[in-house]
Amino acid sequence: MDTLSSMSAARIAAGVASGEFSATQVAEASLAAIEASEGEVRAFLQVSADLALASAKRTDERRAAGEQLGPLAGVPVAFKDNMHLVGTRTTCASRMLENYESVFTATCVQRMLDAGATPMGKTNMDEFAFGSSTESSAFHRTNNPWDTGRVPGGSSGGSAAAVAAGEVTISLGSDTGGSIRQPACFCGVVGMKPTYGAVSRYGVVAFGSSLDQVGPFGRCVQDVALAMNALVAGGRDSLDSTSQDVRPDFLEGLDDSVEGMRVGVIPALMEHEGLTAEVREGLQAARTALEARGVQIVEVELPNMASAIAAYYVIGPSEAFSNLARFDGVRFGYQEPNCATLAEQTALSRAHGFGSEAKRRQMLGAYLLAAGVYDKYYYPAQQVRTLITQDYRNAFERCDAIMLPAAPTCAWRFGEVSDPTQMYASDLFTISNNIAGNGGVSVPVGLGSQTGMPVAAQLQGPAFQDKKLLRVARALELGIEEAKLHRPGTVAPAFAKKGGDLA
Amino acid sequence: MALTRDDVRGIADYARIALTEEELDEMCAYMNEAIDLLQPIREYDLTDVEPTFHPIGDLSNVMSGDELNAHGRSLDLDVALSNAAASQGRSFRVPSILGDEGGDR
Repeated sequence: MDTLSSMSAARIAAGVASGEFSATQVAEASLAAIEASEGEVRAFLQVSADLALASAKRTDERRAAGEQLGPLAGVPVAFKDNMHLVGTRTTCASRMLENYESVFTATCVQRMLDAGATPMGKTNMDEFAFGSSTESSAFHRTNNPWDTGRVPGGSSGGSAAAVAAGEVTISLGSDTGGSIRQPACFCGVVGMKPTYGAVSRYGVVAFGSSLDQVGPFGRCVQDVALAMNALVAGGRDSLDSTSQDVRPDFLEGLDDSVEGMRVGVIPALMEHEGLTAEVREGLQAARTALEARGVQIVEVELPNMASAIAAYYVIGPSEAFSNLARFDGVRFGYQEPNCATLAEQTALSRAHGFGSEAKRRQMLGAYLLAAGVYDKYYYPAQQVRTLITQDYRNAFERCDAIMLPAAPTCAWRFGEVSDPTQMYASDLFTISNNIAGNGGVSVPVGLGSQTGMPVAAQLQGPAFQDKKLLRVARALELGIEEAKLHRPGTVAPAFAKKGGDLA
Repeated sequence: MALTRDDVRGIADYARIALTEEELDEMCAYMNEAIDLLQPIREYDLTDVEPTFHPIGDLSNVMSGDELNAHGRSLDLDVALSNAAASQGRSFRVPSILGDEGGDR
């Protein structure tokens, strides 16, 4: 008997299309996997069993009627809980939105459904995506499927954990400073932040509007490519003014040779004091794996990357403060009862609706945008953004992709990183990518020699060359598989037998 | 110069987040630590460097035609009001905007 979690998305869609099994059977297997694993993982804030079964039934009816099925037909997918899906709540893991029912469906979600995917539910996250461990969720923590005493990363920790535990095949996350790539790394799955503008942000609760980008998690690069195809299939989304009309076929040429391609490494960055030995070893293994596929490694520089954290923690909180000003307790969200004035109601609703980190980020943003302070931080941060973008442009004249760690360490134990600014520093390798807007993908490269937890290499590519970036990611995945360091498509070992039997 | 407790109280007022006295202490410590983290931004020579406010540079405002429900996105009244904690008839319901003293604070 096959378990659902041992199958790729392409395999599931092919099985549904050929009638080997029905979409309903797949949905039931995914629900069984969730039932078996959720007690230990707690990746979900809401499991949408009714929606899933209704959607799967429609897929089966379409097949029975002889209609062409989509490329994700019957594939169980989960969505980060900052994405609207009618029929579910969208809570952003915040008390502020605890009872908020989605009144429309996000474009990214709709496009996955249009491709035939079955919606299994909404996943846990750091509150309003402020965090790197999912510990700031107002509702509960999510446990890393590789070691339930460790964090899954964040902010899209639930999405990464649900895929790593085999509860679903694909999930969507959002990435403002590394929130897809870092949890993918911590949970041993593939996670992609596409180039800003490639995927519509319509219907995704905004954090940093010039930084946010939606992207997929999968257990192999091919599944991520399939999901990317679905996300860009409709081209430009008129409901997001920053959405661009780019719709490459990410599967086409995915397995083509990368011989002669050049991947840049940044020696200075690998000397960073916070980088652990096991991550360094993982990156060395990744380099060897790429070289074995015929990739030429070249040394490049991103000289202004050292200031990326500072620039990010100016731009991100400023945009967050502006975006979260809409939560005033009037049209939606928590409303403080028995207030005499609107001002009192607003201040108390926000004080009691938001958790600590959401308050911290907004306070920082409010300060940074104040008259007199703006010129000291906000404006210079946007100038530094120009320098970081130029750094990338210069580096990509010499290489097709840059390889760097996804995170300086493997997944840490709960409570181990409790100081907020210490947590911010852990975004070091991911945030410059959001500042410049180009694409990045995190690929598992084996287990760390110290913690035994997954290690990932991060590949970053030039803007709107995400297709080539995924080709390099696929080459790395193959090289790592050949070196027997990680087998693509596999779930965390403790959950291998809980993946939902497909009768 | 470090932010004082009173500075932070003023920012909280502006941000419309009613912090408790205890929260103010923690927030004050946090804000000063976070601002320290941002100092590299102030140590640059940024003469003649243009800012980049957005990764997609040539954005301009997108205007919709002046027509009802142009994109089919308009919410039905009951849906629009469904997530509000207080509503009355066709409206969101709020407490006094002016307050007793005629000002909004």
